[in-house]
Amino acid sequence: MKRSKLFFNTRLQLAFLCCIVVSFSCTKKYDDINTDKNSVATIGPAELPFLFSKAQSTATESQWNYQVAQNLFADQYAQYFGCTATYFPSDRLTIRMDWVGAAFNPIYTDVVPQLQSIFKASDPSSPEYAMAQTMWVLAFHKVTDYWGPIPYFQAGVPAVSVPYDAQDKIYDDFFAKLDSANTVLKAHAGENHFGNYDLFYGGDVNKWIKFTNSLRLRLAIRISKVNPDKAKTEAETAFAGGVMTASPDDDALVQRSTKGGDGNGLSIMSDWNEFRMSAAMESVLKGYSDPRMSVYFLPAVATGQFDGLRNGLTVKQLGDPANKADNLSHAGARWASPAAGGINDYLATPQQVMETAEVYFLRAEGSMLGWSLGGTPKDLYEAGITNSMKQWGISAAATTAYINSTATPVAPNDFLHSPALTNIPVKFDAANQVIQREQIATQKWLALYPDGIEAWADYRRGHYNKLYPVANSDNPDIPDPTTQWIRRIPFLLSEQQVNGPAVEAAGALLGGPDKVTTALWWDKN
Amino acid sequence: MLRLKQFLTLLCLLVGTALFAQNRVITGKVLSGKDNSAISGASIIIKGSANSGTTTGTDGSFSLSVPGGATTISVSSIGFVLQDVNVQAGQNSVSVVLVEDTKQLGEVVVTALGITRQSKTLVYATQTIKPAQLTEVRDPNNVLNSLSGKIANAVVTQGSGGPGSGARIVLRGNRSIQGSNNALIVVDGVPITNDTYGTAGSDFGSVQGSDGASNINPDDIESVTVLRGASAAALYGSAAGNGVIVITTKKGTRDRVSVTVNSGVQFEQAYALPKVQNSYGQGNGGVFDRKSGESWGPKIDGHALDSNYLGNPDVYTSQPDNIKDFFRTGVSFNNSIGVAAGGDKVQTYLSYTNNNIQGIVPGNDLIRNTVNLRLSTQLNSKWSTDAKLTYMQQDIKNRPRTGEENAPTIDIYNIPRNVSLTNAKNYDFVNVLGVSTPTYWPSTLASIYQNPYWMIHRTGINESRDRLQGFVSLKYNITDWLNVTGRANLDRINTKLDQYYYQGTILWASQPGGYYSKTNIQTTQKWADLIFEGTNKLTDDLKLNYHAGAIFFDYLYEDNTGTANGLNVTNKFSLNFASNPELNQNSTEIQTQSLFGQASLSWKDKIFLDASLRNDWDSRLPKPYSYPYYSVGVSAIISDMVKLPENWSYLKANINYAEVGNGGQAQILTSKYTYSQGAGNGFLQRSSTLPIPGLKPEIVKNLEIGVESRFINNRIGFTATFYKSNSFNQLLLVPLPPASGYANQYINAGNIQNEGFEFVLNGTVIKNKDFNWDVTLNFALNRNKVISLSNDLKTVYLSGGYGRSGTPVVKEGGSYGDLLAYQWARDPKGNFLVTAAGKPLTTDILKEDQGLIGNFNPKETFGFTNIFNYKAFSLRILIDGRIGGTVISGTEMNLAFSGIPEATGQYRDGGWALGGVDTTGAAVGKTISAQDFWQTASGKRYGVGEFFAYDMTNFRIRELSISYDIPMKSNKIIKGARISAMARNVAWLYRGSSLLDIPGLGKRKMWFDPDMSLGNGNFQGVEYGTLPATRSWGFNLKLTF
Repeated sequence: MKRSKLFFNTRLQLAFLCCIVVSFSCTKKYDDINTDKNSVATIGPAELPFLFSKAQSTATESQWNYQVAQNLFADQYAQYFGCTATYFPSDRLTIRMDWVGAAFNPIYTDVVPQLQSIFKASDPSSPEYAMAQTMWVLAFHKVTDYWGPIPYFQAGVPAVSVPYDAQDKIYDDFFAKLDSANTVLKAHAGENHFGNYDLFYGGDVNKWIKFTNSLRLRLAIRISKVNPDKAKTEAETAFAGGVMTASPDDDALVQRSTKGGDGNGLSIMSDWNEFRMSAAMESVLKGYSDPRMSVYFLPAVATGQFDGLRNGLTVKQLGDPANKADNLSHAGARWASPAAGGINDYLATPQQVMETAEVYFLRAEGSMLGWSLGGTPKDLYEAGITNSMKQWGISAAATTAYINSTATPVAPNDFLHSPALTNIPVKFDAANQVIQREQIATQKWLALYPDGIEAWADYRRGHYNKLYPVANSDNPDIPDPTTQWIRRIPFLLSEQQVNGPAVEAAGALLGGPDKVTTALWWDKN
Repeated sequence: MLRLKQFLTLLCLLVGTALFAQNRVITGKVLSGKDNSAISGASIIIKGSANSGTTTGTDGSFSLSVPGGATTISVSSIGFVLQDVNVQAGQNSVSVVLVEDTKQLGEVVVTALGITRQSKTLVYATQTIKPAQLTEVRDPNNVLNSLSGKIANAVVTQGSGGPGSGARIVLRGNRSIQGSNNALIVVDGVPITNDTYGTAGSDFGSVQGSDGASNINPDDIESVTVLRGASAAALYGSAAGNGVIVITTKKGTRDRVSVTVNSGVQFEQAYALPKVQNSYGQGNGGVFDRKSGESWGPKIDGHALDSNYLGNPDVYTSQPDNIKDFFRTGVSFNNSIGVAAGGDKVQTYLSYTNNNIQGIVPGNDLIRNTVNLRLSTQLNSKWSTDAKLTYMQQDIKNRPRTGEENAPTIDIYNIPRNVSLTNAKNYDFVNVLGVSTPTYWPSTLASIYQNPYWMIHRTGINESRDRLQGFVSLKYNITDWLNVTGRANLDRINTKLDQYYYQGTILWASQPGGYYSKTNIQTTQKWADLIFEGTNKLTDDLKLNYHAGAIFFDYLYEDNTGTANGLNVTNKFSLNFASNPELNQNSTEIQTQSLFGQASLSWKDKIFLDASLRNDWDSRLPKPYSYPYYSVGVSAIISDMVKLPENWSYLKANINYAEVGNGGQAQILTSKYTYSQGAGNGFLQRSSTLPIPGLKPEIVKNLEIGVESRFINNRIGFTATFYKSNSFNQLLLVPLPPASGYANQYINAGNIQNEGFEFVLNGTVIKNKDFNWDVTLNFALNRNKVISLSNDLKTVYLSGGYGRSGTPVVKEGGSYGDLLAYQWARDPKGNFLVTAAGKPLTTDILKEDQGLIGNFNPKETFGFTNIFNYKAFSLRILIDGRIGGTVISGTEMNLAFSGIPEATGQYRDGGWALGGVDTTGAAVGKTISAQDFWQTASGKRYGVGEFFAYDMTNFRIRELSISYDIPMKSNKIIKGARISAMARNVAWLYRGSSLLDIPGLGKRKMWFDPDMSLGNGNFQGVEYGTLPATRSWGFNLKLTF
């Protein structure tokens, strides 16, 4: 008995002690156990360039966002493409909130943290800081130009509610940021920063100076109706700072890759057969015998012809063979899979961010307003066309013939027997400013292809070029699409759900009901 | 003394009678072999004579008239082994000592950590399932599916991926929003790894992966105990808040050699396929279009076609079986051999099982080999050991994708109503480069759906899995009242996944050459414990039994995937040919260390007090990683304390309260940046989830009150249990405004309550010499209430956002699994709104939110098993059902847009008056056509869910089996032979209907089986491209040597 008691006392206590020791001592490794070995926990100088690349890739509508952020909305509203899919209502002006969020959410979650990390880790006088500032403006002007008021000044601050800011205040900040970026970059002219992590220019600071100022010019023209004085100052300062002048060297294109879901967003949709050339594009490209037509589009598989469709056809109309994808023109070879008649590397086709041609058209329009932007409207207009042609590899002879052409758009051979989109020629009108404006806007519209986001914003801002009325509107706020048009994207349902009070307060900043028909601050039409 | 006198008188009388009738009366006493206590209510019958029997009184005594000569009586009592006693001629008293039957699980149950307890000492309800019920009628896909209808308050839904798919088994309602609601599966005392590597989280679909439970070999199961409540499970910690299914596997036997050979064949067929119209074929608006995938064409009239979609002459005829005939009859073989043997010192059990299972989708097969070795030794009175090694190898070929995106099921459902399978089988041709290329297919959506034969022949998802499970344990009896057991357990699963998609496969092979990926997943779970067990008699009336110990648990998950999206050599499926090879690696480790103690105090074996305390140190939590939880309960055997009326044999009441903690989720305390490939040098991306440095453990608080009672000599008994459980500090992933830089954040919040009632009845309706009728009925109801979520958040979407057909949510004030969908708008009076053109006006057009249309959980569930034994025949019927619950058929929504479902066959030529009102309340007299209607209700992949919502209520004959024990002479080699025939999912007794009573159409009866779900995660309530449920039947032969 005594022995067993002793046994109990020593052995048992020892065993219990073991348990306790095991339990307490081993928690030392717990933090290590709970760390993900396949990711980076802290950001240092070596990681910043990867963040910059990510910001560039996402800010320009990355592969899986492109369709729902851009193609189903801006690309249709700019009338680059018509929708051939029966199950997408956005061409008939019904906004699918859960899709269009792709133009909003990724900017905040995959661009803002990246750029803010760079702001935090680098000196404000460094080119890295300045390049990040320009990227910031590029990303956010697209967002505000969709919605108007957006969360901006408090973006990236963890909180359960993030306030919306007025668009004019946001534009003020854009100009301030671009101004400071230009100043810093100028001080580092000729240098290279971020190297091949910079997907636009391979780190060439000189090109970043041009890009920064060109972007500033774009935004200046954007506010030319709502705030002409500021627009003039900003535009002239931008031009003085040095803008893009020569395509293709100065053009900003973002590299794309077949790796990691980083492909060209337009290309990835190639075989989905959900969108085709619009009737508006067909009317103009065919009428002008535009040499870019066969670059921008492919002949229809079934007919071998270039054919487009009107925007906003009903499900029943889309059921007609004439409106089937096979009978209509696919986006050009560089955005088409080999199966659709495209190139092998179609997914790696670089994507436009801003091109030299646009800058000339901006200057042409500015000079019509009497701003000093280094040229006459006619010269700048023609230089815009020339640079666009260069960008797409069109010969100089064809370009010259095009510039002097008096041909006008034709009636597209479409299901609704639409008339010609407009009656202006390419050749710059000698005197009529209304026609000149339409010519500049029309050529800019052609040059911007396939960047529907900028083209739609530009159309809303100026209303200088013509587009067809949407054939059918399912949106009760636009009962008559011949007299009304879509001017913005309503505030996201998801924002109302997770950021409700801020969205409610944003209503006052919008200056009208939260509808597609409410004009943005810079939209004075 | 009086009694003796009476007895003698009686005896004299009886002797007299006996003499006259050659009968005599014997008296006797029945005692328990364990402690020599009297057994009351034991039944005594004379062998070979019907209707003559008696039962013992409270003191265990009986008297019985028996034939004069030598005879045999059978003595039985619940919890004891039936004993035959020879009564010699002239013998008139007999004493019978019954041996406790440890196999009769009604009395002794395996509880947490493998601790065996007498059921009457438990302070909570348990339920046991006889293993025969899992092996007689097998579900070829997953043994968990065989639990349907057998456990009170269990909702079993099967994942839709064919054989080996993960299943979902939820006990007492859903409580976790982000985490799993699946019951914990415990084998031989240790939780097994039961992850599912792939499951649908939205109606988009997925590949339903295997879980851990699907590898369990039913032939090795010795017993199954279900611990429904947290109290019962508290000792398991973490995952036990969802209840536990405790499986004990077979061991060797002492002093006996037995060999069991089991051989079965089973046939499986799809049923509950979509009901389709067979009157209209390809086209639109009534106009024929040979290239169209839509079935809105002209009436099928058998006229000759110049050319069909392939360009060949054809006849325009309907193809009523072109969906049904796509699926095959799956044939499965189960063969197993088990050898159990042993002496006093060593016992072994060795088994080998081969399962060869064909799925109903052509080409989808599962082959599984399982070897199981169990070795137990008793070295001496102090030391004993136990060890087990189970090795399983399983290959699954061509697991079908599920969901709405280019998966064989949804592809075949979309076949135009006049396209024959003969034509469809021309799914490819070889192009000039010698490459298999898809033949033109009249798809309803050319960018999404493809010829289903292409999908089954030109794509494949193959899984190969090795699993090693085993433990060694050593037990030492320190004294006769205290022992200690140490155990080490390993569960390692290696899963290899090979996926290939030929060039030309829509959606999945987006780059030239085709797509290939190879994934290796390894999970390793280590479990070690040291448990002291003691029993002390404190006084004559007071006994103490206790356990104390420590547990170490480590779980490591690792996967790596090589992806070739694009192959340089077309359709050569190896990473060597990758044009853009990509690698991806993930790993997670969780470690917990625990100390626990449990004590049970019994007073006179009538009142039992039970308490447990456990403390966990969990690596997922911030310092100091620690949290405690406990349980306490009491039970009383009232029938032993007060005199109950005659025929009321047993009454027990119990109450308990328990808390169970859960460490949450790994790797969420700090931010992380992940790398992804892309242009330049690739990208770093910050996780869009805000970390939660102050993570707290989740706590489930559980109260349970139960009564157990038996009547008429234990012939009928029931247990009734009421419970209430509240889950606090739920780990919720809640959305943040993305403008904050984060898409979401984790919070600890909420209070989700489940309360309910369970009733299990067991009884013998008829008991004769040759005929027995036993019934088991379980009935349960669960009411869930989301009492609170958080201040900032009132709704969590279980699918992460709006679904295409419907959205299951957890909403404050509602119930877990409330189902939201777009609806047909009504005016305040309840009239349907229509547009000026007469089409339905739906809430999506009106820009309204999705509205509440139901909840995916049943309100009540029941299972009713009847077993009829007649001589050597046995017939078992299981009827089960669920009452309540709503499910949206995304499949029907998808097909309705294309004019395929039966309902779309009406009003093709217009004239359909819905009789609704416009927004001003004025009646609209316009009529519309079927196409107008259904293309408003459905936008194909996005639609108005309410039109396609059904009441999930259904009753069915779940299982049916007939078996016959072939009489064998005991001296022959074959000692027993049992042949049986079985069927599963035999027939519907009742099925619910659609929610909407559409004017002119009425309610449609549910055509699908709501038990089949898209995946086995928390995304439920939406059926979309799910594999059809199956009906199976087969035969089984069991030989015992």
